[in-house]
Amino acid sequence: MSAQTPVIEMRHVEKYYGDLHVLKDINLSVTKGEVVVIIGPSGSGKSTLCRTINRLETIGSGEILIDGEKIPEEGKKLAQLRSQIGMVFQSFNLFPHRTILDNVTLAPVDVLKRNKKEAQQEALELLKRVGVGDQANKVPAQLSGGQQQRAAIARALAMHPKAMLFDEPTSALDPEMIGEVLNVMTELAAEGMTMLVVTHEMNFARRVASRVIFMEDGAILEEGAPEEFFEHPKTQRAQAFLQSIREH
Amino acid sequence: MSISALWAAYGSEYLQALLTTWKLTFFSFGMAFVLGILITVARVSPIIPLRRFGDFYVQIFRNIPGAALLILLVYAFPKLKLLFPYATCVLIATTLIPSAFCSEYLMSGMNMIEKGQIEAARALGMSFLQMIRRIIIPQALRYSVLPMTNLLVATMLTTALGSTVPMVPRELTGLVSHINTHATGGVTAFVISAAFYCATAVLIGFVGSRIDRKVRILR
Ligand SMILES: Nc1ncnc2c1ncn2[C@@H]1O[C@H](COP(=O)(O)OP(=O)(O)O)[C@@H](O)[C@H]1O
Ligand SMILES: [Mg+2]
Repeated sequence: MSAQTPVIEMRHVEKYYGDLHVLKDINLSVTKGEVVVIIGPSGSGKSTLCRTINRLETIGSGEILIDGEKIPEEGKKLAQLRSQIGMVFQSFNLFPHRTILDNVTLAPVDVLKRNKKEAQQEALELLKRVGVGDQANKVPAQLSGGQQQRAAIARALAMHPKAMLFDEPTSALDPEMIGEVLNVMTELAAEGMTMLVVTHEMNFARRVASRVIFMEDGAILEEGAPEEFFEHPKTQRAQAFLQSIREH
Repeated sequence: MSISALWAAYGSEYLQALLTTWKLTFFSFGMAFVLGILITVARVSPIIPLRRFGDFYVQIFRNIPGAALLILLVYAFPKLKLLFPYATCVLIATTLIPSAFCSEYLMSGMNMIEKGQIEAARALGMSFLQMIRRIIIPQALRYSVLPMTNLLVATMLTTALGSTVPMVPRELTGLVSHINTHATGGVTAFVISAAFYCATAVLIGFVGSRIDRKVRILR
């Protein structure tokens, strides 16, 4: 595979929900080590875009390639592809009936057939790394939102993903917990993880993003380096959107 | 006859009948539980004919009266050269009917699982069966401990169907009919059986709520 093959590539992707055109000719590529931030108003299709990449949502037309290969439509191949792409959700989605440690080891053991002891050891290291090592034997409900989200990041990392998708990972958090999650993400980016991040955290985008994408009404309206985008947005709609979140 | 006179005459038979009721109840419930889980997996599987079959199964056995099912097993099946002993017929009836309810309770337990978890499991690359085994059934079971407790009691009461066929050994209700055809136990004969049913139900309820408290999912 050549050095230029993007880890994630979307070509002319279209998607409808009934009559609603949610993704309009989406072209996007994320190369190894890049951190691409997607911003845009609510309902613009950011989550849908994210979710088509591991086929939690199907697409109408176009293609999505991971490491140059088309996403399989179903079955074992699709499951295998999903296991290589980490996903972090707004609502954490930890498994509430299992301990934090189990949450992190379930998929490595079941899906990757890793040895349980080794998986646990690695899980503990990952949990330490994201700062919740001492919570390993609690269940999710005993953790704060910020701790849960960091555990969810550890759960995704335990699969050794090629890329990580983050769909508004801090939107459900109290303000004082946002920083701790963004710090973990910043470290991940610094270590070279390929990331696609939907977020409205402008400071994070400025510091960490290699590129910022602005979406509205299902289309990518603008794409550029963070400095350029935040200082000199080209489209009027991006200007208006940035204005509206700055007023907050 | 007074209770004490009845007990003096039939005490050991009552205990024998209690044991039979317990055995029938726990065997039926155990099998209904396993069947109920399998039927539920079929009902949520991606294979449409399997789903249909599961739904059909539940509709049939949830709605058929126990006595009608037993009559079918005892009188109709021999015509198809299917001959079961009476006890087996009773056991089949008291298994099939609760299995349909078991599946219904599991389905409503499943409805309490947040959809996001299923997405998280899929995003981790889990297969349908891995998801069922690790995420869905364990949670559905924890959410349905109390209904299952009620189902266990209901299963026990359904075993009284055994009194409508000449089943040996007799269960609690069968023994009452037996006593009343030989002696004049009257309602008193039933009071002893009723006390055993009630005591068992109370015990089941107690254990059930202990288990519920223990496995309840913190939210
Ligand atoms: N499952 C669905 N069925 C129908 N419409 C949906 C569904 N999911 C999202 N939508 C609609 O698609 C549009 C894009 O949604 P979404 O991708 O969640 O936007 P964003 O994440 O940018 O807020 C919205 O108008 C939303 O209402
Ligand atoms: Mg969204």
